[in-house]
Amino acid sequence: MKLPNGYRVAFAAAAMMLTAGTAAQAAENFTLYCSPQIEWCQLVIAEFQKATGIKVAMTRKSSGETFAQINAERKNPKGDVWWGGTGDPHLQAAEEGLTAEYKSPMLDKLHPWAQKQAKQSGYKTVGIYMGALGFGYNTELLAKKGLPEPKCWKDLIKPAYKGEVQIANPNSSGTAYTTLATIVQLFGEDGGFDYMKQLHKNINQYTKSGSAPIKAAARGETTIGIVFLHDAVTQRVNGFPIIPVAPCEGTGYEIGSMSIIKGARNLENAKKWYDWALGPDAQKLMPKAKAYQVPSNAGVAPPPEAPKVEQIKLIDYDFEKYGSSAERKRLLAKWDKDVKPLPR
Amino acid sequence: MRRSVVLWLAVGWVGLAVLPWYAIEDGFWNFAWLDSYPVDSDVGPALLQGLGHGRWWLLPVCLALAAPLGILGRWKTDPWFAAVLLMAGGFGLAYTLAQGFAIGIRGWEFEALETAFGELGDRQFGMGYGAVLVCGAFLFFLTEGIAARGAIKGDVFVVGSIGLVIALVAAFIFFPITRILISAVQDNDENFAPALFFTKLFSGDIWGLECLTANLTCGVAWNSLFMAILVGAGTTAMGLAFALIATRTGFRAKKLLRVLTVLPIITPPFVIGLAVILLFGRSGAVSTFLEWAFAIEPSRWIYGLPGIWLAQMLAFTPIAFLVLIGVVEGISPAMEEAAITLRADTWRTFVTVSLPLMRPGLANAFLLGFIESLADFGNPMVLGGDYDVLSIEIFFAIVGAQHDQSRAAVLAIVLLAFTLSAFYAQRRWLGRKSYATITGKGDSGLHMHLPRRLKILSYGTALPWAALTAVIYCTIMFGGFVESWGRDHGFTLRHYLEAFSVTTGAHGLVWSGAAWNSFWTTLEIAAISAPLTAGIGLLTAYILVRQRFVGKDAFEFGTMLSFAIPGTVIGIGYILAFNVPPIELTGTGVILVICFMFRNMPVGVRAGIAAMSQIDQSLDEASLTLGARSFTTLRKIVLPLLRPAIIAALVFSFVRAMTAISAVIFLVSANYDMATSYILGRVENSDFGLAIAYSSVLILVMLCAIVLIQVAVGQRRLGRRGAQQFGLEGSTG
Amino acid sequence: MTTKSTAASVRFQSVVKAFGEVVAVRDLNFTIEPGSLVTLLGPSGCGKTTTLRLIAGLEMSTSGKILIGALEVTKLPASERDVCMVFQSYALFPHMTVLENVAYGLSVSGMPKAEAHAKAEQQLALVGLKGFGARLPSELSGGQQQRVAVARALILEPEVLLFDEPLSNLDAKLRRHVRQEICDLQRSLGLTTVYVTHDQEEALAVSDRIIVMRNAEIAQTGTPHELYEEPADLFVADFIGDANVVTGEIKALDGALAVVDIGGVERRLPHRGLPPGEVDVAIRPEAIHLSRERVDDSLSGTVSKATYLGSHLEYSVETPLGELFVIDHRVDGFAPPGTTVSVVMADRGVTLVGSG
Repeated sequence: MKLPNGYRVAFAAAAMMLTAGTAAQAAENFTLYCSPQIEWCQLVIAEFQKATGIKVAMTRKSSGETFAQINAERKNPKGDVWWGGTGDPHLQAAEEGLTAEYKSPMLDKLHPWAQKQAKQSGYKTVGIYMGALGFGYNTELLAKKGLPEPKCWKDLIKPAYKGEVQIANPNSSGTAYTTLATIVQLFGEDGGFDYMKQLHKNINQYTKSGSAPIKAAARGETTIGIVFLHDAVTQRVNGFPIIPVAPCEGTGYEIGSMSIIKGARNLENAKKWYDWALGPDAQKLMPKAKAYQVPSNAGVAPPPEAPKVEQIKLIDYDFEKYGSSAERKRLLAKWDKDVKPLPR
Repeated sequence: MRRSVVLWLAVGWVGLAVLPWYAIEDGFWNFAWLDSYPVDSDVGPALLQGLGHGRWWLLPVCLALAAPLGILGRWKTDPWFAAVLLMAGGFGLAYTLAQGFAIGIRGWEFEALETAFGELGDRQFGMGYGAVLVCGAFLFFLTEGIAARGAIKGDVFVVGSIGLVIALVAAFIFFPITRILISAVQDNDENFAPALFFTKLFSGDIWGLECLTANLTCGVAWNSLFMAILVGAGTTAMGLAFALIATRTGFRAKKLLRVLTVLPIITPPFVIGLAVILLFGRSGAVSTFLEWAFAIEPSRWIYGLPGIWLAQMLAFTPIAFLVLIGVVEGISPAMEEAAITLRADTWRTFVTVSLPLMRPGLANAFLLGFIESLADFGNPMVLGGDYDVLSIEIFFAIVGAQHDQSRAAVLAIVLLAFTLSAFYAQRRWLGRKSYATITGKGDSGLHMHLPRRLKILSYGTALPWAALTAVIYCTIMFGGFVESWGRDHGFTLRHYLEAFSVTTGAHGLVWSGAAWNSFWTTLEIAAISAPLTAGIGLLTAYILVRQRFVGKDAFEFGTMLSFAIPGTVIGIGYILAFNVPPIELTGTGVILVICFMFRNMPVGVRAGIAAMSQIDQSLDEASLTLGARSFTTLRKIVLPLLRPAIIAALVFSFVRAMTAISAVIFLVSANYDMATSYILGRVENSDFGLAIAYSSVLILVMLCAIVLIQVAVGQRRLGRRGAQQFGLEGSTG
Repeated sequence: MTTKSTAASVRFQSVVKAFGEVVAVRDLNFTIEPGSLVTLLGPSGCGKTTTLRLIAGLEMSTSGKILIGALEVTKLPASERDVCMVFQSYALFPHMTVLENVAYGLSVSGMPKAEAHAKAEQQLALVGLKGFGARLPSELSGGQQQRVAVARALILEPEVLLFDEPLSNLDAKLRRHVRQEICDLQRSLGLTTVYVTHDQEEALAVSDRIIVMRNAEIAQTGTPHELYEEPADLFVADFIGDANVVTGEIKALDGALAVVDIGGVERRLPHRGLPPGEVDVAIRPEAIHLSRERVDDSLSGTVSKATYLGSHLEYSVETPLGELFVIDHRVDGFAPPGTTVSVVMADRGVTLVGSG
C-alpha cells in the first residue's frame, strides 16, 4: 500500500499514541501507592518481587498527594495498596471509608502501639514503623551564634532562638499537625496554644513540607528544625552537622501506616504484600534504605542509628481523638485564628 | 453519494458491531481480551451488549447509526442528505454521551433517574475502542450534514475540523474546568453547599489586608497579584533592555545573548530556585562570601517575595525579550529618521517616537510575565518561605493536611479570575491595536543607535543580569558534579551514575540507573505530544485565520483559554473528570499526552496565526480552484510554507512537555512517571545533587531535540533571501 | 472563434451575498453564454470580485442559485467545481517550481507525476515559457509569472476560466501586450471566461460582453459598443469612457427620436423611452468639435485650459452649459487658453441618459 507522506506520519503518530495507552498490566501484579522516599520504595518492591514473583507497579507520592489521589479516585480506585507515610491521612482515609478492612495474620507479631492503632482504625490501616517527634539543630550555626543547646520543647520558645526555628505549617503538613496535637496533649489545650503562640515568635518560616525544616537546618538555612527524629537522623547520616533531640518533656510520635484501598482490583496480591510487609523480611530492610524509624514488627531490631526508643519519653498519643477529622479541623482552625495571624 | 460518508458509516458500524464498546482494563494496546471476545460481557461490542447482555440502553445508538444508510443513494445537494446526517449525527452524539454520563460504574449516576426507572442492577465502564469510533462517526455525520447545507463554503474538511476541535476542546478543557467549578460549590462530600462557597471565597486568608497595617502577611490573592505585577514589570524592563541592546547597539556577543535567553525556557522547574538558594541562601556561596569579606551577617532574605521574584525574573525575562525584540525591530526606521530630521535629538526621539510605538509590545510583555508568574509553581514551591501564593495554596489545599478540595476549587477560581482578566485585557485592549510598522515596501533606513544615557542604562541592567544568569547555569552544571552542594565540593560522578548508569547483565544492557524509567517515559510522552500539539494548534490557526463562521470569537477564546489556566487547576480538573466513566483515562500515558496537547495548544495556535497571516490567502484559493480539496491544500500549500511556525510549535510543545510540573504531579502514575515529578521527589528529599544532574541531562536532551526538529522539518524553499529565524522566536507563551 | 465542447454557461438567479450587515451582491441575475468572454466592470467595492468568487466557490451565496452548465453549484465547494481562476497576485506557490505549479492541478486530481509534468511542459511552451520549468516563481519577471498563472489555470481545461484583475500588477506597456495574449488564447480555446477589472479600456478591449456593476447591483449589461454608445445612465456613461453630462430638455417625441434642446441648440436623438421634459445628456469628449469660426447650431465658448498630449489635444471649454472636456485629434490646430470658439456636437457620441 502506497500512502502519501502525510498519512504515514498520521499513522505513526496514532500508533505511538496507542502504545502510550498501554497500562502494561500483566495478570500477576498489583499497584502500590508508595509514600516514603523512593529508595525505600524501590528496595522493598525489588525484594518483594524476588520473594513472590508478583510484579508491582509503583507510584511514589507524598502521603498528602496520595490521600488526595485516592480520594479523587474513590469512585473508581486505581491503586491496590497504600504503603507508608504518616498515619494521619491513613486514619482519615479509614474514617472516610476509602480503605478496606483487613486483619492480617501477622497482626499479633507487632508492637502494642501498632496493634492499638490498627484496632482504633477498625483494622483499616496498620502500622509498619514508628517515628518519634522531636527536633534537630545545626551544630555549626548554633556554635557560631553562641546559642545554648536546646533540650526541651520549652527551650524552643526562649527569646534567644528568635528567627532560628523552623516548622511546617500544620495546615499543609502532617508532621506539624502531629506537633500541634502533641503539644496540646503535653500542656493541655490552653497551655498548648500559649506555647504555640510563643513559639510563633521564634519561627522564621512555616514550610509546606513536613521534613523541609531539618533539610533547611542541614544546609544551614535555619538553626533548628522541628521534625520527626528519624528525618534528623537521616541528615546526620548523610554527613550534615545535625544533632537530633528528643524533647525532655516527652513527645508524640507518628505511625507510618499501610492500608488496602477499598475496591482494590487485585485484592489477593494486595493481601500478599500486606502480610509480607509486616514481616521481618520487609522490615529489616529499613536501615539499608536510610530509614531510621522503629519497625512495627516486634521481632525486628531497630537500626543502630535510630534514636533509642528507651531514651525517648513517648506520650500516650491518642490517635483516635487527634486523628479524627473533626478534632483536626477544630485544632487547625484555632491555630489559624489564634496563632498564625500574630505578628512575629 | 459521498465516499466519505460510506467510509465513516463503515467505521461507525465496526465500532458498534465488532470492537469492544468499553475500555479494556488492561490497556489500549493489550489484546488479552481477544480470548473471551465476544461473549464476555465486558469485552463485547455494543450491538451484542444491547441485545445479549441486557444493556438495552445501547440500542438507540444502533438506530442513529442506521439512519444514514437510508441516504446512501442520494446526492449531496439533496436536502434529505443534509437533514438525515444532521439528525443522525446530532442525536447519536448527544445520546451516546448522555447514556455514558447517566450510567456509571455504580449504575444510575443521578437519583432522579433511579427514581424514574428503578434500580438498574447493572453498570458500565469507560468508553473504549468501539465507543470512540462510533462517536467519531457521529461527529462526522453532524459536520458533513452542516457542510452539505453550505456552511463554510460547503467544505467538509473545514467543518469537520471545526467540529473536531470544538469536541476536543469541550472534552479536554471545558469539561475538566467545569468539574472544578462544580466542586467549588460542593462540600467535601459532594453535597451542594453554596453558603460554604461564599464563606471560603471571601475568607481572610485570601483577601486579608493585614500587611498594610501590621507586620503580617496579606491574603494569598493580594500576594499573588503583587508578585505578578512586580514580575511583569521587571521582566518587561529587563526584556526591553536586552531587546534594545540586541537591535540598537553594536554589541558583539549577540549570539551569546540569544543562548542566555533560550536556556531558561528549556530549564526544568525547581532548578533555578535551587541554584538561587545555593547562591543566595543563608549558607549560600554569595552569602558566605559576603560574610567573609564584609562581615555581613547571612540572613534568610531570599525566602519569600525577593526569592520568588528573582527566580521568576530569571525564568521569564526571555519571554519578554522574545516579545519585545520583534516589536523593537518592527518599528520603521523611517519614523525615527523623520523625528531626527525634525530636529529631535536621539533621546527625545526615543522618548517621543520609539517608546510610544513600542507600547503595545510592552503591554503584551507585561501581561505575559504577569500570567506566567501567577501560574508558576516550581519557584514559589522552593523559595516561597512564608509568602503564600495561589498556585501553591491550591496544591496544598488538596495534598496538604487540610484535604479541602472545595477550598482548592475556590482558590482556583480566584486564580482563574486573575489570569482570565489579564488575558481578556490583553486581547481586548491590545488584540486589535497594532503599531507594527513593517510594510511590504522595504524600509531602507537604519535603526538609530541608542541615546547615550539609555545605552548606559541598558548595559547597566542587562549585562549584570546576563552575568547572573550565566553564574546560575554554571552553578547548575557544577552542582551535578559535586558530592554535596555547600558542604562537600569534591568532584564526583555519583549523581550521574545513580541516575543514568547502564550495566551489562545476563541479557545484555540493563538500564539500572534510577532515572531511566521516568526519562524514557518523559521522552516518549513529549515526543508523542509535540506533533499532536503542533498539529491541532496549526489546524486551529488555519481555521481561525482562513475561515469565517458564526461564533468564531467564542471558538478562538475557547482554544486560547487553556493558556490562562494554571497547571495545578488543570491537573485536579483532569483527575476529577477523567477518573470515572465515560472518559476514563487516569493511570494511562494518554492522559499525559492529552494534558500536554491542550495545555500547549495555544502556543501552536499563536505561532500558526502569526505565520499564516503572512501567507497570501489567494494561494489557498488558487489551490482550491485547481481542484485540490482543503485537506490537500493544507498539506501541499499551507504546511510547507509554515515550516518556521511548525518548528516553533514543535519545539515549544516538546520543551513544555519535558518541563511541565504543576499539572503533571496529579497525573503521573505507576507506569508513567515523568522526569519533573521524579525531580520533585528528589528535591523534597533534599537530594539536590541528583535533581540537578537529572536536570542538566534534560537540558542537554532538549537542546539536541531542538536541533533535531530544525533539521527534520527543514527550511522552506522560497528562492528569497529569507532569514530563517530561530524556532522559539515565533512563540511567545 | 470556436466554442470548446467543455465550455459551459454560467447562470446567476437572484443571487445575494451578504457579509453580516453588508450586502456585497444584491439580487444578481445574468447568464454568461458558453465560450464567451464577459467582463465584470465597476469601481472598487461594487461587488464584482465577490461575484467572481461566487462563481469560483470561494464564497457561498446567502441566497439564490448559481448554475454552471446544467449543474447547480450553489453549495458545492470550490474544489468540486470545474472552474479555474487566475489571481490578481498570481498566487503562484512560492515553494514549488514553475513546472510543479503548472502541474499542480493535474497531480492533485490523481494524474501520475510524469504524465502531469509532461503536460505541464507542453502548457508552458504554449505560453512561451519553454525551459523555465525548473525555476522558482520568485525568479521570474512579473509578466512571466502572469503567464505561469494563466498556464496553471488553462491546463485543467476548465468549464469556466476566471480572471481577477490579472493585469493590475504589470506596467502599462506590458499590460496591453498580455491583454492581447489572453484574448487570443481565450478565443483560440473557446473557453467561457469571466474577467474582472476596474479598467474600462481593458474591458472594452477584451470583452464579448460587459457587465457593469455599481453598489452590489448590475448597472448595465451589453457589448462594449452598446455600453459606449448607449449608456443606460449617467453612471455607466461616466464610467465607460469619459462623458460631459449636461442638462437638456426634450421638447417633443417623434417616433424613435426625440427633439432635444441642448443649451439652445436643437438636436434629434433616440429618446430611449424618456418622456418630454428635462433630461441629462452625455456627450463624449471626442464628439465635440471646436471651431474658431462661427458655425450654425453651435454653442459659443472660451478655451480655459489646453493641454498638448502628442497624439491629441485636451481642452477645457467654458460654455453656457458649463465647463466641457474636449478631445481634439487635430493637433496642428492648437487653440491657446482665452481663444473664443464655436462648440459643435457630432452626431454620434451624444446620448440621452435620463434625468439625474
